[in-house]
Amino acid sequence: MKSSLKNMVVVLFTITAVSALLVALVQDITKDAIATANQEAKNVAKYKVLSTTAEEAMVVADTTRHIGDFQITVSTVQRKADQSIVGYAVEAPSITKSGYADCIVLMVGFVEEGDGCVVNGVEVLSQKETPGLGANMTKEGNSLERSIVGKSAKDVKFGVTKEGGSFDALTGSTISSRAYANAIETAYAGYLWATGRLNTSAEAVEAAPSGASMTYDNSEPEAQKGESNE
Amino acid sequence: MSKLQIITKGILKENPTFVLILGMCPTLGVTSSAINGMGMGVATMAVLIMSNIVIALIKNLIPDKVRIPAFIVVIASFVTIIEMLMQAYVPALYASLGVFIPLIVVNCIILGRAEAFASKNGVLDSALDGIGIGLGFTLSLTTIGAVREVLGSGSIFGFTFAEGVMPLLFILAPGGFLVLGYLMVLFNKVAKR
Repeated sequence: MKSSLKNMVVVLFTITAVSALLVALVQDITKDAIATANQEAKNVAKYKVLSTTAEEAMVVADTTRHIGDFQITVSTVQRKADQSIVGYAVEAPSITKSGYADCIVLMVGFVEEGDGCVVNGVEVLSQKETPGLGANMTKEGNSLERSIVGKSAKDVKFGVTKEGGSFDALTGSTISSRAYANAIETAYAGYLWATGRLNTSAEAVEAAPSGASMTYDNSEPEAQKGESNE
Repeated sequence: MSKLQIITKGILKENPTFVLILGMCPTLGVTSSAINGMGMGVATMAVLIMSNIVIALIKNLIPDKVRIPAFIVVIASFVTIIEMLMQAYVPALYASLGVFIPLIVVNCIILGRAEAFASKNGVLDSALDGIGIGLGFTLSLTTIGAVREVLGSGSIFGFTFAEGVMPLLFILAPGGFLVLGYLMVLFNKVAKR
């Protein structure tokens, strides 16, 4: 079509108006469904990290604590049969160490054993790490998961092995691995707080300043750098 | 040009990755494993087919001088809508392909085909062109991903055969450039015959 000022203005305006309208409309329609889907995924993770199912057990209490912009939620999960407590599923972000792209949110299951607790399972709720590197933390049986699941939480050192921690870092992804360890630490602190056992080992929660001053520990040249899109 | 030729040219003569050299950002970014390459390829193909159809339908209504901004707005809205619908109604699919969707908005293959083909051809031919280029892109990305995965992590489609002994370089960006370069040479040498 030949261009004239009038038809260019009219066509561009129409296209942008119609597009905006459609996007807004779809956003409105899908808003609730997306929220439900996210909530559903969280619920599934809550039972999975405690090796149980929604048929056998139920969440009896949710306690949430806000630290700056971050939020830690501790869910108490109880067996339906005898009302005994299965354990605690904690949704926690990495606070002091961000992942490569964004903070990492984990669901961590703690099961009480003796006077301590054991990390029963970990599920990654959200992460934006590099595919093939940091994103490998979502894989079943990755090195991070292997180095924490089944361990007694109070014996765990929250850092990567080359810095004296307990976590075998993912190959080429030290930043992501640090953030993962940090999120587990946050979860453990959240668990201690929710079960009224907050003591010195809960420094992560207490020491974490309001979200504004989050530090990015990028002191080390990182393999992941340079892999960016656009 | 026969209908079949429109499809096959996308795979060989006008292969988007190795011949047209379009869409390099997602190519280097996601091909760290074969399955990631395939996911990106399939997601792009779906969007490409539909955007080609839409552009072919509205091409006569758009004044020439503003066609590019018009195409960009149409494609970007379109991808955003697909992303939201996927997230809401097929969360499982979104979980595996979701990371690729925003990358498609800025994928020059989509815009390139809208400009070079869909704006000059009919609806059916444009859809076929989408299929052809989409297949070519998927095959190329899967190949690059497979080579990088084998050389870099010692596995193929997630199946590990040699853990921890392969050079990590191939998973990282420099390895992506190396593999892309060598495959491009190989492809063009074979295709020229």
